[in-house]
Amino acid sequence: MLLLQGLVLGVLVGGMYALMASGLTLIFGVMRLINIAHAAVIIFASYLSWQLLRVLGIDPLISIVILVVVFFIGGALLQKYVLSALIDKDLSLALLATLGVANVLEGMEGALWTSSFHAINTGYSDQTYHFGDVYVPLIRIITFVASVIILAGLYVLLTHTNLGRAIRATTQNRAIAQLVGVNVNRITMIAFGIGIAVAAAAGPLMGMYYPFYPNSHWGWIGKLMAIVVLGGLGSFRGTLVAALILGVAEQVTILYVPANWAATVFFVFLFAVLIVRPQGFFGHVARESL
Amino acid sequence: MNARRVIAVAWPLAPLVILIALPFNGLNGFLLDLFYFTFTYAAMSVGWNIIGGYAGYISLANLGFFGLGSYVAGLTLSHLGWPILLTAPLVGVVCALVAAVIGWIALRTRGPSFVIVTLAFTFIVQFLALNLKDITGGSAGLYLPLLSMDPLLRGDLFYYYMLGVLILSIAVAIGIRRSRFGLGLIAIREDEGKAEGSGINTSVFKIVAFMISCWFAGVAGAVHAQYLNYVDPDLAFELIIMLNMIVMTLLGSRGTVWGPVLGAFILFPLQSYLVYWLPSTIAGEVHLALLGVVLVLIARFMPEGLLVTLQKLIVRRPPPRLQAVPADAATSARP
Repeated sequence: MLLLQGLVLGVLVGGMYALMASGLTLIFGVMRLINIAHAAVIIFASYLSWQLLRVLGIDPLISIVILVVVFFIGGALLQKYVLSALIDKDLSLALLATLGVANVLEGMEGALWTSSFHAINTGYSDQTYHFGDVYVPLIRIITFVASVIILAGLYVLLTHTNLGRAIRATTQNRAIAQLVGVNVNRITMIAFGIGIAVAAAAGPLMGMYYPFYPNSHWGWIGKLMAIVVLGGLGSFRGTLVAALILGVAEQVTILYVPANWAATVFFVFLFAVLIVRPQGFFGHVARESL
Repeated sequence: MNARRVIAVAWPLAPLVILIALPFNGLNGFLLDLFYFTFTYAAMSVGWNIIGGYAGYISLANLGFFGLGSYVAGLTLSHLGWPILLTAPLVGVVCALVAAVIGWIALRTRGPSFVIVTLAFTFIVQFLALNLKDITGGSAGLYLPLLSMDPLLRGDLFYYYMLGVLILSIAVAIGIRRSRFGLGLIAIREDEGKAEGSGINTSVFKIVAFMISCWFAGVAGAVHAQYLNYVDPDLAFELIIMLNMIVMTLLGSRGTVWGPVLGAFILFPLQSYLVYWLPSTIAGEVHLALLGVVLVLIARFMPEGLLVTLQKLIVRRPPPRLQAVPADAATSARP
């Protein structure tokens, strides 16, 4: 029964992990760039959502809408004015620029909100439901459902719209996408903006689920990287499956070992994948991306 | 050998003599410390440059090796009584051997796995330092036996020790730059496929470069543990150390011998001044954010770094590659 508990909580948290990692994999797909600032963006969105709840009383689920718009614009501008010039010149410079952005966000959060941890507490935060022997906190159901809805929206966007087709074409082969008339620079900008917007959507959910502090993004980026590597970098479906696998593996591990050791699950998977099958388990970057 | 050539080869002796002579002229404790830190950062940046600049692979593991060096040195001192200043080079060797394993996992393939693995490695070492409480003391850290000597003499000792490590790092960087090994690394950076095609065993080259790079991080970490007489998971894996290595190298000029040294000598004193000047409640946060801003600005507007940029300004000579082909030959070759 304990195992069933771990399984249920694993799937619920896995849904949120999928949302957190999907932006990272989308950005890697179109730009071949590991966005080291990805988790820092998520945490930044958590802080803003906390602030909106505190000052204006805006529910975190509502603040998602505001943050998505703002972060999409911010991400697109960052891509257009900083990263795009670097991508063409030297990919490693773009990588280092994202490292710089991560530190700017972390330092700024520390200066604005101190380095002690915060949590987003709503009126419904503490409720828990029992289904037989399995107990499920309401907040985990809410974050899971919200994550699934946003991911479904992203999936429809990528598979059923012209913009989505252009993004996938750019991911698969930039030169040929350009050849058939895709404005790849513009698509890259929009795709990066979407990736950051998805991170922003994950922020309030993450902040309701776990406490956060300025440098907690380092722990998260490690987990997210393990997820996208297991899923095959750049593969959207792979990322979803990998997030569920790692979510369940983590929650089941927590049942048997002290909670702080559960983080090792991610590193074990990461290194095992890279030793056994460096291209990940769900297709290859160049061949299949969605 | 004419005078110009002598200057071109022997100029580093001048600052070297000055740096050796400085402590004899009553350098106070504050300045001794400032130089000690600058030397440490310069040596680590030169080390980072070997994998990050010469070979073009961004490593985020050097911070992990700095911390690993601190812990290995601290543990051998407190359990076996081996003095750190003697064991530091061997601690570096331990780090280099671990780097070989990490390199084997991450560098067999090209592309993004290296940066992911090196970042994960730093997390893992920090995680183990925090959670293997019976060995490392967990978050409380590890107090080391003090070096019992006069404080000013102690300052001198660390000053000269890290100056020695810095000179060694520069010598190694020059040696690599002039060797076939160094050429191979640069070929890997420019075009790994072609480098492999021309007979370079790219995996071995990259792994050896990574090992050398991490040796310096390990030695610096070991010496720093003795300097603080203390090791803990926050200080040994402070993110700002990693950021500094990278920003200093980039500011000076990536892939050059002297760039990282220049970057460290400019940035470290500036940062000490900044942290001294800022209100202490937010000094750490503003410091981190500003360093991040500097990194983004350098990457965006001066990616070649000071040394190369200045060289271009002063020399005003078109790069030799363009000179090799006469202008008319170039135009006539056009269809």
